[in-house]
Amino acid sequence: MGTITRTFANNITTSGVFKPNAFNNASFDNVTAVPSGAIESGGMVLLSTQTASGDASISFTSGIDSTYKEYMFIFNNIHPASNSNLQFQTSTDGGSNYGVTATTTFFYASHQENDGEAILAYKTNRDQAQSTDFIYLTGDNMEASASDASVSGYLHLFEPSSTTFVKHYMSNTDHVADGPYQQNNYSAGYFNTTSAINAVQFKTTSGNIDAGTIQMFGIL
Amino acid sequence: MPHKLVNGIKVELTAEEIAARAAEEAAWNAGAFDRAMSSLRQKRDALLKSTDYLALSDNTLSAEMTTYRQALRDITNGLTTVEQVNAITWPTKP
Repeated sequence: MGTITRTFANNITTSGVFKPNAFNNASFDNVTAVPSGAIESGGMVLLSTQTASGDASISFTSGIDSTYKEYMFIFNNIHPASNSNLQFQTSTDGGSNYGVTATTTFFYASHQENDGEAILAYKTNRDQAQSTDFIYLTGDNMEASASDASVSGYLHLFEPSSTTFVKHYMSNTDHVADGPYQQNNYSAGYFNTTSAINAVQFKTTSGNIDAGTIQMFGIL
Repeated sequence: MPHKLVNGIKVELTAEEIAARAAEEAAWNAGAFDRAMSSLRQKRDALLKSTDYLALSDNTLSAEMTTYRQALRDITNGLTTVEQVNAITWPTKP
C-alpha cells in the first residue's frame, strides 16, 4: 500500500475544526492506491454567469487576473435578435476599451438541413491579421428568425495575466446558421500583446443578444 | 434605453456608445451582399476542390461530373440580393 507523509499546517478554526488546507501531502512512497481526498485535484471553478436579455454586449471585467493560468467561457444557447455573428474582444484596461491586436484563423464544417451542402473550409473573411477588430466566433449568420435557433460552445483564454508572452485563445462553437444549416466553427489565435488582459467582451455583429448564458470558469 | 451587461449588471449605453454601435451595424448591414457572395464562393470553391482530382490529365471526367462542376462554377450567375444567395440550390454531386 505504501505510505503518504503529511505535514500539519497551523490551519484550524477557533472551534477546533480543520480548514480545507490543514493537511499538506509532503511525500508519497511506494503508493499503489490513494485514498479519496488525499490529493487535491484540478478542476474548473465557476467565477461568473451572465444571462443575456436584450443586451448589446456581455462583458467580464472582474476576476480575470493571475489567479488562474487559463480561463474558459461557455456559451449556452445564445440567441441573437437579428441574423448576425457572435464575436469577442479583450481589454488591457479593465474594459474601458476593447480592441487588442490579434492574429487569428477560422475554419468550419457545415451541413445543410436539407443535405444539400456539406463542406469543410477555411473562411478567409472571418480571420484577421494584426487587427483590433472584434473576432468572429461563428462563421455564417446565426439564425434569428427561428426561436429555437442558437449557438453554444466554448472559448479558452490562456494566461491572460502574462506580461511576458502573447495571449492565446481557442474557440469551438456550433450554431444554427441562416439557411438553415448546422455549422461547427473553430477560431484560434493570439492577442499580440505582453500587457495583461483583464476584461473580455462578447457581442453580435448587429443587434442585441436576446437570450443565453455565458459562464466564466477559472481552470486550476 | 439600450443597455449592455457588465458582470451581470445592466448598464445603459451612453450616447457615444449608441452612436458607435449604430455605425457598426450600418457598416455590417451595408456589407451583407458582399459577405454572402464571399461565403458562397468559398463554399463553391471547396466543393470544386473536392472533385479536382477527377479532372486530372490521366482521368476522363464523366459527363455527369462535368455538368456538376459547371453548375458549381455558374452558381453565382445573376445573383443580386442576399435573399437570392441564401435561396440557391446546390447541384447534386453525381
